Amino acid sequence: MKTLDRKLLREVRGHLGMLLAVTSIIAVGVTCLVTMVSAYMNLAEAKQLYYAQCRMADFSIELKKVPLAELAPLAAMPEVAELRSRIQHSVTVDLPGVIEPISGQIYSLPDQRRPVIDDIVIRQGSYFTDRRDNEVIVNEKFAKAHRLRPGLWIRMLLNNRQQELFIVGTAISSEFVYLIGPGAIVPDDKRFGVFYMKRTYAEETFDFEGSANQVLGRLSAAAGGDSREVLRRAEDMLSSYGVFTTTPLEDQPSNKFLTQEIQGLKSFAVIIPCMFLAVAALVMNVLLGRLAQQQRIVVGTLKALGYSDLQIFRHFLKFGLIVGIAGGLIGCGLGWWLAKLLTALYGIFYQFPELHNRLHWSVLAVGMLVSAGCAALGSLRGSRAVLRLHPAEAMRPSPPRRGGAILIERIGWLWRSLGSGWRMVLRNVSRSRMRTAACIFAAAMGACVLVNGFMMQLSLGFLIDFQFQRIMRSDIDLTFNDERGRDALAEAARLPGVNRAEPTLNVACTFINGWRRKKGSITGLLSDATMTIPRDIEGRRLRIPAHGIMMSRQLAKSLGIERGDLVGVEPIKGQRRLCSVPVVEISDSYLGTAVYADIQYLSRLVDEEFAISGVQLAVDRNPVHRAALYRELKRLPAVQAVSSRADMIRNLEDILKTQSIFIAMLVLFAGIVFFGSILNASLVSLAERQREVATLRVLGYGPWQIGSLLFRESMITTILGTLLGMPLGYLMTLAIAAEYASDLFRLPVVTSPGLWILTMVLAIVFGLITHLFVQRTINKMDWLDALKMQE
Amino acid sequence: MSQPTADKANRVLLRLQNVGKTFQMGEVAVEALSDVSLDVYAGEFLVMVGPSGSGKTTILNLVGGLDSVTAGRVWFEDREITAFTPAELTRYRRETVGFIFQFYNLVPNLTACENVMVSTELSRDPMDVVEALRLVDMEDRMDHFPSQLSGGEQQRVAIARALAKKPTLLLCDEPTGSLDFATGKRVLRTLLDLKQQLGKTVVLITHNSAIAQMADRVVRLRSGQVVELHDNPQPLPPEEVVW
Repeated sequence: MKTLDRKLLREVRGHLGMLLAVTSIIAVGVTCLVTMVSAYMNLAEAKQLYYAQCRMADFSIELKKVPLAELAPLAAMPEVAELRSRIQHSVTVDLPGVIEPISGQIYSLPDQRRPVIDDIVIRQGSYFTDRRDNEVIVNEKFAKAHRLRPGLWIRMLLNNRQQELFIVGTAISSEFVYLIGPGAIVPDDKRFGVFYMKRTYAEETFDFEGSANQVLGRLSAAAGGDSREVLRRAEDMLSSYGVFTTTPLEDQPSNKFLTQEIQGLKSFAVIIPCMFLAVAALVMNVLLGRLAQQQRIVVGTLKALGYSDLQIFRHFLKFGLIVGIAGGLIGCGLGWWLAKLLTALYGIFYQFPELHNRLHWSVLAVGMLVSAGCAALGSLRGSRAVLRLHPAEAMRPSPPRRGGAILIERIGWLWRSLGSGWRMVLRNVSRSRMRTAACIFAAAMGACVLVNGFMMQLSLGFLIDFQFQRIMRSDIDLTFNDERGRDALAEAARLPGVNRAEPTLNVACTFINGWRRKKGSITGLLSDATMTIPRDIEGRRLRIPAHGIMMSRQLAKSLGIERGDLVGVEPIKGQRRLCSVPVVEISDSYLGTAVYADIQYLSRLVDEEFAISGVQLAVDRNPVHRAALYRELKRLPAVQAVSSRADMIRNLEDILKTQSIFIAMLVLFAGIVFFGSILNASLVSLAERQREVATLRVLGYGPWQIGSLLFRESMITTILGTLLGMPLGYLMTLAIAAEYASDLFRLPVVTSPGLWILTMVLAIVFGLITHLFVQRTINKMDWLDALKMQE
Repeated sequence: MSQPTADKANRVLLRLQNVGKTFQMGEVAVEALSDVSLDVYAGEFLVMVGPSGSGKTTILNLVGGLDSVTAGRVWFEDREITAFTPAELTRYRRETVGFIFQFYNLVPNLTACENVMVSTELSRDPMDVVEALRLVDMEDRMDHFPSQLSGGEQQRVAIARALAKKPTLLLCDEPTGSLDFATGKRVLRTLLDLKQQLGKTVVLITHNSAIAQMADRVVRLRSGQVVELHDNPQPLPPEEVVW
């Protein structure tokens, strides 16, 4: 080993505290990088493989009923590579021991196994057999949640008839990686299932002989990856068969959620690690700068002996690299482990045939490179000042630090009122610009991460409250399989335990404003509805207009519509008459793109006198009544889906709990950033001022009094940085909300005074904890020795 | 100023020609050297004396390639040091010059032996480390850290370090300045031996005029100028020098 390397190793041992502080910050940065990039790659690769395996459809068209022969022109389009038709239908499932009715969706599959678009992957049991017609394949998570397995029978209400189906297998499919029921934003394995049945049996059961109500397709190379034009022409071709929706892959709900998550991960895999690594480079810079200053004379001597600048720089660089490599190794290891956890967590929400945390060597290599690079950058800037000196100059004691009055001294009355301690503190903070800047930056980044974490938690809580307490207030929503009249409402009101029933009418339609077209639906409500209360951004109740519609801000924005404008509405049922409707009000919500209208007005729009497609119920809390209600609902063939607000809230709250783990991790990371930067700055400051400290001790200062000087310094930078970081955190949350905003889901950006206070309190607590370490060093310092030291 | 005698003038090792050096201390310019011209001959023991601030260390730094001139030129043999690139200066320091400092400048966290190795590792044909330490009578203390050595011992390690890379020129900046009388004399003996036995050229600066008695030639400086240069036909051995 070279002698300089031996010197290096001894110095590493001598500066272990400071080095650990910097290493921990680098490790946090690399951990974030490796965790997020690995999770991103795991998800992105799993998605790609799965989509290829199941031959994921590029588009789908939902329609009322189309004879198969009518699909030939569509299949003949050069942009269409392959087409598949299928039958889909909502079902309610009656499971023994489960009191509430369970909603599900049934899809047809070929009787004999062959590769098809949106294929399934069998997980247990087998594909359909020739032994019976009424075989069913159940989606895996639903089966697991209810302990269903091949060989068991399951009871379903199919087209108004209770039927027993024999489970032959469980399966998953790429079109339901993120499986959510109607109106939900999070998966609920227990209350929503997907079922596959034989095509011939489905045709027979739902009266669909020789026809289908959904068309799936894959694009050919001629389409250039864009399905919109194909869908536009398909809609024209099939218009007489009642096209409800046309969905390109990018709008397919599961794909949309998954793609957005992957995209979000990708963005954060850059932003968050960059923040931490920038702090690490700055802190490294301060540390190496100090080390080089401390070794000014050694550097001068080495130069006098004939060492070149490059050789000496290499020496300092190695010092940085030790930290960089140690931080990189810890970060890679920890990152890999966290990526495993994160990937497993994604596995709860997103279902893949295989979702493992692969060891991505390229990510680890990037992690190591980034950490070494950031350490090298810190070393370069840190040692530059000393290396630039002539050897003779380096060997002379460093000139006294810049003096002169600081800015605050100009405020005479304030300065005069300060004691010598505060004056020393303020001058030090003001004169050690690089160190102060590094500390402020680190605190700002730490606070930014904290605020962001807390705001995300607050946002989801706010969303649950706004959406499920203030807008949606019904206990149970029923969706009918067809439109009904007033008698259905009266019948619903008579169900056991029901206190109040309000009708809803859902009309699928296309909204048109000039060249802008958007598919959606209008929900008709009573003008004095109490179970769905549209609100504005301030949470104020908005009245359902008697004439015209109330549109959600998200939809109005994408259609370029403002309050008072007219919008073209083309219903997908009735006469399909395009009519111009005034947008009387703009409402706000965070889920979906609701459009409300008075139920009678909407009924007239679709040429009905009074139609209802669902009922919202307020029910009493008596569990006996609730069970009786569920029993009754299971028997009603008209009820297609039953959703309970309490279940939706529970599912969202489960997400909140999962999110808390992440927040705890963010708090820990922020803590490490605070800890690392404060510890480093305080120890560097202490090392620089050993003589000053010794002199103060001679003058009669106690170790705690000296500690209080350093504590005040670190508190000034911590509080300043936190104050700067808090708005940054707010802006970051805004950016995240914008990144994740979609028609399905938008994240509210909310704050509370408690959030700011908590962030500041945490920053101060981190500062206090760190100071305990600094104080220990002060207590142990041999100040007499420091007094003899020649600087 | 006296001219060099014929026998000493056979080979000029170092030449300073109208050298000036000004330091900028904040807003004040301090002239450390002004119009200094001087030749140093190969194999001589030259002592420069003068009070603090007379420019002794500045001259040493300039001829050692540690600092740059603001006026004039410096030659080593036929090469102009003042025209060297930084890389050439580094090579010059590495191959030609050995420095000995008043405060020894040992690397605190390296042992005596390792401090010498720091120097030998740079050299293409260095002296054996133990041999270098033996020359200064420090081989028994080679595994000690600087903090475990007395001032004289540290200075001898510093001499061994300078010596180990076999420099042509030894530049000594107040080598006895921080040492007691007996230790100082011992260090001077070591330096004289190096000159006599190994034929090194030694330039030693000191504010202690008594040491000038052991020099071949003496340069006296005051306020950045050479005020006297004289030969010492009968140099005293260090043991007879008293201060």
